[in-house]
Amino acid sequence: MSTDFHPIQCIVPPHMLREIVERGSPAQRDWAIRTLRISEQFRGQRQALTGLPVAAAPTVIGAKHRIIYNAEFGSTLPGKQVRAEGEPPTGDPAVDEAYDGSGVTYDLYQDVYGRNSIDGNGLRLDSTVHYQKGYDNAFWNGQQMVYGDGDEDLPPADRLFNRFTIAIDIIGHELTHGVTQYEAKLIYWDQPGALNESMSDVFGSLVKQIKLGQSANEADWIIGQGLFTARVNGQGIRSMKAPGTAYDDPVLGKDPQPAHMKDYKNVSYDNGGVHINLGIPNHAFYTTAMELGGRAWEKAGRIWYVTLRDKLQDRSDFQAAANFTHQTAGELFGAGSLEQQAVRNGWAAVGITVDGAPPPTQPPKGCVPTALGLTRPPERVK
Amino acid sequence: MKISFERAGGFAGMRVAHTVDTDSLSADDARELHQLVEAACFFDLPAVIQSSAPGGDQFQYKLTVEAGGRTHTVEAGDAAAPETLQPLLLRLTRLARSR
Repeated sequence: MSTDFHPIQCIVPPHMLREIVERGSPAQRDWAIRTLRISEQFRGQRQALTGLPVAAAPTVIGAKHRIIYNAEFGSTLPGKQVRAEGEPPTGDPAVDEAYDGSGVTYDLYQDVYGRNSIDGNGLRLDSTVHYQKGYDNAFWNGQQMVYGDGDEDLPPADRLFNRFTIAIDIIGHELTHGVTQYEAKLIYWDQPGALNESMSDVFGSLVKQIKLGQSANEADWIIGQGLFTARVNGQGIRSMKAPGTAYDDPVLGKDPQPAHMKDYKNVSYDNGGVHINLGIPNHAFYTTAMELGGRAWEKAGRIWYVTLRDKLQDRSDFQAAANFTHQTAGELFGAGSLEQQAVRNGWAAVGITVDGAPPPTQPPKGCVPTALGLTRPPERVK
Repeated sequence: MKISFERAGGFAGMRVAHTVDTDSLSADDARELHQLVEAACFFDLPAVIQSSAPGGDQFQYKLTVEAGGRTHTVEAGDAAAPETLQPLLLRLTRLARSR
């Protein structure tokens, strides 16, 4: 077959140019603005540059306020509004799961930790479901939660993933990315990125536990249970109890997570393995919660929440998390308390020894990666 | 036409990597890939298409296409990737899983 290309007229679509104007490097911005102007003159249009680069801010009000949108299998966010706060169920499982799951997550933060929504100030919880076709993912885009339907476009026998709202801990996970964005602002790279991910798993799991009324030893500590179809050999995406054992499948491969620092994976992909090395802090939380017993959100969860809110900073690593959670446990429950000992033991189980005093925060050096958009890794610090 | 494809990140963190040579595919599959590359205007895309907005769990793609004497690599974040590129990304993910 020929590998020649027709001299087709490739015009980068305006929506993408706008993205580049908003988010690209200075050189990319210049290029995109020039291209937009040219294409506007070409088409006699004026709207493409209107309103740039100010992004719309989500509405802030003072209580639980959810809105669910339907992307109708496209990529445009947020999509068409299909359910607002107080409205009855729609009968569409993805819509109603996103509504209910973000409600339980809001309630955990409000009722247990006294936090009013993602920003602590009643930020509206926006979720979009039915995002793209065959989209096996859920994400937080800095402003809202987004859920795909897995492999809905394949024949049932070929599907690996169900819809991503099916597991309530995924909803808690995505919403917690928002909380982290407003609090510790952990950068999405290497250990700070894996901590960012782990915080999302911790509170995602607690959302599931509080919904089911489970104590620590009743919980399965699986993240994303129900997401795989019966075709996949796996319980879920991650196990906080035994990282690295959640799935082992001929098509999807094996769960790559370490449960101990000696197995830490230095990888270049996945922003330095943020979805891999989170197994380490996940297991530290699990171990702490199991030692304390009872309802994990009451003590272990509180220690982790206060640490996320008040102590961790954008470049905090696992050692800093260990030291800060230990310090927080001392402040909340007393120096030398059982709670503080449980935190020390939790980190010891993953090969991290709590230091007496947290290290002073290092000033950032070099380029400061602020988000997902980082294109070059910071120097790796061992 | 040769395509090297990698998808990393995402909530599940499952890395998908695959290299495909259209000469080794059926005529239909090869034609489909050519059409998708063309529809994406792949050779006119910037080398890096990233969003600087904060976020979490978004896919990261890296894609190199060699065709007609040209080679081009694009690294794209999920939310920043143009809609015209999405069908190619999905097709390549599926190809990688169907080996």
